[in-house]
Amino acid sequence: MADSPTSASGELTLADLAGQTGLSARTIRYYISEGLLPGPAKAGRGATYGEQHLRAIREIKDLQAQGLTLAEMRPRLMGDELEDVTINSVPWQAYQLSPDVVVNVRADAAPWRQKQIRRLLSELASTLNKNK
Amino acid sequence: MSMTEEHKEFALINPATGKEIDLALQELQLSGTILPVGARLLVRHVFKSAEPGPIEVVYSFGLPRDAALRQFRIVGEGFSAVSELKPTGQAVKSYEEGIARGHLSTMARQYGDGIINLSVGNIRPGEVVAVYLEILAGSELRDDGFRFRFPFTLAPSYHAKARTVESAPGQGEMELPGEFGDVMLPKWMADAEDLHRIGFDLKVALPHAATEIGSPSHSIRVANGEAGHHRVSLAPEKDAPNRDLILDVKTRYTQPAVLGGIGPDGKGHFAVLAPSHLFGKAEKEPRRVVFLIDRSGSMNGAPIGQARRAVEACLGTLTEADTFGLVAFDDQVETMADQLVKGDAAGRNRASTFLKLVDARGGTELADGFNAAAGILGDEGGDVVIFTDGQAFETETILRQARSAGVRLHSLGIGSASQDRFLSLLARETGGLCRFVSPRERVDISAMELFASISSPVASNLKVESPATGTLSITPEPPSRVRSGEPVVFFGELESSVSETIRINWEADSGPKHMEIPLELVESGDAESVFLLQGSRLITDADSRMIPVQGNRAEREREATRQTNLLKRLSETYGLASRAMSLVAVVKRKGDKANVIPRTMIVPVGMPQDVDFEAYFSGHGPSGRIKPLRMVNPQFPSYEKPQNIFARRDGTAPDMDEDMELISCSSLGLEDIEAEEADKQNDLMILLAGRMEPDGGMPGKDKMERWMASMAALLFYLSNGNTRTSGTFRLQVQRLLDYLEQRKGDGADPRMLDLLKFVQEGHVPPISCQDQVARICFGQAIDRNMLRDHFDWIAPM
Repeated sequence: MADSPTSASGELTLADLAGQTGLSARTIRYYISEGLLPGPAKAGRGATYGEQHLRAIREIKDLQAQGLTLAEMRPRLMGDELEDVTINSVPWQAYQLSPDVVVNVRADAAPWRQKQIRRLLSELASTLNKNK
Repeated sequence: MSMTEEHKEFALINPATGKEIDLALQELQLSGTILPVGARLLVRHVFKSAEPGPIEVVYSFGLPRDAALRQFRIVGEGFSAVSELKPTGQAVKSYEEGIARGHLSTMARQYGDGIINLSVGNIRPGEVVAVYLEILAGSELRDDGFRFRFPFTLAPSYHAKARTVESAPGQGEMELPGEFGDVMLPKWMADAEDLHRIGFDLKVALPHAATEIGSPSHSIRVANGEAGHHRVSLAPEKDAPNRDLILDVKTRYTQPAVLGGIGPDGKGHFAVLAPSHLFGKAEKEPRRVVFLIDRSGSMNGAPIGQARRAVEACLGTLTEADTFGLVAFDDQVETMADQLVKGDAAGRNRASTFLKLVDARGGTELADGFNAAAGILGDEGGDVVIFTDGQAFETETILRQARSAGVRLHSLGIGSASQDRFLSLLARETGGLCRFVSPRERVDISAMELFASISSPVASNLKVESPATGTLSITPEPPSRVRSGEPVVFFGELESSVSETIRINWEADSGPKHMEIPLELVESGDAESVFLLQGSRLITDADSRMIPVQGNRAEREREATRQTNLLKRLSETYGLASRAMSLVAVVKRKGDKANVIPRTMIVPVGMPQDVDFEAYFSGHGPSGRIKPLRMVNPQFPSYEKPQNIFARRDGTAPDMDEDMELISCSSLGLEDIEAEEADKQNDLMILLAGRMEPDGGMPGKDKMERWMASMAALLFYLSNGNTRTSGTFRLQVQRLLDYLEQRKGDGADPRMLDLLKFVQEGHVPPISCQDQVARICFGQAIDRNMLRDHFDWIAPM
């Protein structure tokens, strides 16, 4: 994403915001509709966007790079609506393979990756229990 | 009634509550004409806003094979406008300017993998608009007819960098990395019953009357019109968007068919369809074949079982002279052996053991799979038969890798929404064949059919020319090889409207051959359809080659410009959209308000009914006996989330062991006795093929019993419509005939030899031997006396 500053008045049109962030105008509208971005600063004629939109889009891109979907990042970006979610936490699942072995696995991996991991864990659990 | 009036009062009602359902897309209705070489379709999308402010609706769908968009008309209260075809950059600009000014803006834009986003922006509260989108689409041709497929849903697909989530119970979302641009994918609903309704009412126009029209996907109603014209519609009033429409049309072509005519431009536009049996028959050569099974997670459930059965059916047809390999792939590749093994009993047993261990699991790294298959075939080459749902993104890159692997890839697409466009390209681009089977069809029969077609070609070095005036152009180049069961099709243009004769030359085993086909074209509306189908085929081919190349920035930009310019030229020539050219329309209405941001809504679609929802959108639950203890966060060890992020809305944890609920299927009429009987016959034919010995004869205690059992099997195949050159079991017929001829001295009496001669001359005696065939299939000894009675039938002189 380009880091060019907003205009002297700090106001951007939707086309400017799209140009500066590398997103399409349609994608930005979708983010607003999904509650990931605030709406324009002014409604109607002369709708404008500013630094907070640039910052929020930067954050969305960062979270996407970490592997989160829009649905998963929505609670983080909406902040105060979800008190029980720790900011910046990544969900993990713990698997107890034997009484003395617990393995933590990231819960947001792709389903096929999850299945692979579970298969390997099953094999490991079987080996651990055989060699007790 | 005008189109506007037709939709003004439209509302989708929930039958349970009697209340209107608030859906941005309410209905999708398919109409148009299907010709044997493709279809010219009109898809009506009815959008309605129940929101308090303006909305922008995005509907995503995948193009069928050899398809392109031509134009759309948008109709609403007091307006009707037709789209313009513009370079994609300009179309986006027009669309966005229209949105900013508050006008009703509509754009149909094509992305990679043949995905279309139809965006309709600034629909006002309570407003109903209909978009009529014209689409050209190809069909899957066979000697005995064709299969037409239209996607009513878009299957989710695999990409290593895709992000997926079950965003609400039974609702999946998938996002692609930045290199896919701003393409929007739908939300996938495990239950499609509350989504928009679909329907279809299609005309089928053939040179001769169809012998049969059926659908393995939907209940249909067929009405026959004048010769060769049929009307096919959905039997129930509406259906759910959770599977492709599949129509099978059976015809009997004995001679080449010429479609098209003279168009408004004064030129002749035609397509020629020539069944493969006109080119001769395939000579038997030992096969070198690798079976490649997609074991990715999306194949979980019925599809992986179907793939296993399909391979088993093909293995049953191998001879001792054949060699084969077996590869299973997901994001890892496993091979039965590093080299080809013999198709004898030991080889087949080894394959059965390997198959038992093949289960669905990881991602879909197709290229790894066919590279492994190519490695097993080695320098001598051969055929690869791939059993897959084809659910992968970035298909253009996979196609490039397939072209460079240097093997012929034949695809059997499995699934209710398998990737018709991609798999047909994969086969065509590597010189292979492609067939599809839906979950409710006999996969073993389809596999046998495909496998029978990939034997040695019946013709090679095929060329088409005009011996007379040289005013003929054939584009694209027809395939140089002709395979048994698949007709030759090519499109052409005549500069003038004079009658012409075209000549097809080819090489057969017996030497050069040719046939001449007269073109007597008259003015016809079909000329334009054929011209557009030719264009959609050319655009699909060019689009499949539109991929980033290696090299420095200047080289990459030069190549991208070249590819875009080629697509633009084709789009302009044929008036069809492509990735380089999009369709856009902006309608100015009274009272449009500028700079009001519409709420953007993505139209959800149904998960394809045989695809495991968890294969893409869940999988966080336990499998086997390994159970997760809890959700934890190692960065904050004391923190335990009260419920995991994948919990259902009611707070209960999803039970990951439960199978996805199968969406009920509309009746296919398979319950009737006739269909059940046909299924029994198919079962017996499959079992019989599996009992065939590697020398081509049936098993028996001695030579005499083997000869008699083989004769019984031959008569059974013939009585079920198979011949040496046609039918799914044509390979078995050929092999049995050869066996019986070679073993005439094995005790057959003169009457039996007369019967063999009668059959060799191409006749079909009215004897089925079903009772004795059933004994062979289940490993019981035949009743020789009873068979002798059957064989006692005297051929008419």
